[in-house]
Amino acid sequence: MSVLRPLDKLPGLNMATILLVGVEDALLQQLADSMLKEDCASEMRVHLAKSLPLPSNVNRPRIDLVVFVINLHSKYSLQNVEKSLCHLDAGFFLGKVCFLATGAGQDSHCSIHRNTVRKLAHTYRSPLLFCDLEVDGFRASMAQRLVRMLQICAGHVPGVSALNLLSLLRSPESPPLEEL
Amino acid sequence: MEQQAEDPPGAASSDPGGAGGPPQVAGAREARSEDHMALLFRLRAQTKQQLLEYKSMIDANEEKTPEQIIQEKQIEAKVEDLQNEIEEVKIALEMKSLALSRMQLSAALKNDLEKINTGNSVLMDTMKEVLKLNKSVMKLQQESWELEEKLLDVRKKRFQLKQASESKLLEIQTEKKKQKEELASMENSDKIKTMKQSLQREIQIATVIQHVFQNLILGSKVNWAADPALKETVLELEKDLTMT
Repeated sequence: MSVLRPLDKLPGLNMATILLVGVEDALLQQLADSMLKEDCASEMRVHLAKSLPLPSNVNRPRIDLVVFVINLHSKYSLQNVEKSLCHLDAGFFLGKVCFLATGAGQDSHCSIHRNTVRKLAHTYRSPLLFCDLEVDGFRASMAQRLVRMLQICAGHVPGVSALNLLSLLRSPESPPLEEL
Repeated sequence: MEQQAEDPPGAASSDPGGAGGPPQVAGAREARSEDHMALLFRLRAQTKQQLLEYKSMIDANEEKTPEQIIQEKQIEAKVEDLQNEIEEVKIALEMKSLALSRMQLSAALKNDLEKINTGNSVLMDTMKEVLKLNKSVMKLQQESWELEEKLLDVRKKRFQLKQASESKLLEIQTEKKKQKEELASMENSDKIKTMKQSLQREIQIATVIQHVFQNLILGSKVNWAADPALKETVLELEKDLTMT
């Protein structure tokens, strides 16, 4: 079982790599396209994967940020993500992992409750982002955010490290009050 | 399975490639060298940051992990403590650098104070702009604070109403239960039973009397259908008393 480690390779010069893990190929592809359209000072590589572990025969650069895309409409995507989380080295969870929950807009189709995903993100101490990837505008702004996060995680922004960003993005510890 | 997608480097200068006359070439070469310099500076900053990250990872890995198995709750508490520590150190650093930059600014101002023309200098404009922005920031903060207060009040009221309705519903429930119990107990009490029994007896006696009168009238062979009063009496006697 190959475990993905964050710092086992040297970083490529001026290169930042992001790995999107999720079951829905169409959504991942759209998100990847939006990200590639964004302005990025360094060379950006987007890898897509259905689940971890990744095949070990491919020669890939050091992965700087892993984004797990969970579709709130399907329980299978959550199970897939949970299974893939075992194949990540613990060093990744110091700011190089992010959870992205999509589909929260249509409440009637949601089979996973928001709190489930929140608890998952809280257990792994990683930031959780909500975005409706089907809508172009939201997807573009989310792509911008991810590109910025990727730059920080790849070490291209002087003075800010992935761990620094993680403590900035920390959500309040107590579960949010449901509307009284 | 895995797919890759690449994005061509944005900031790397592109070769103008056989551009026109000499001035253009010189200008392009200058721009290229500037771009090269910018790129080199950027790469230097990047490499420094990445080196810092690797070094900190090495330092972190040198820490020995505790051998005994600690409860998950304790680990979580420890993690939170460490996170709070990091926050405090960050805040202290921010405060110190803020104080430092303020001191530098005031020192620079002091040195240049005589040269500044208070009429129309950029500094005065900047300061006026800063004051204006500060005022609007404070006003907006005040407004947002008030809105939050209102929201909090509304939430409190909603909560109180919910509680009141909860208690009311509970009362209704207990009342209904009491009523049901009373009804059930009443039906089974002895008083009712004796009352029912005596009622039954009276009904039977009245029925017997009815039949006796009926037979009397019939037995006397009187034409009871002719007389309306007598007809009414006979038909009344036919009425079944148990149906009451």
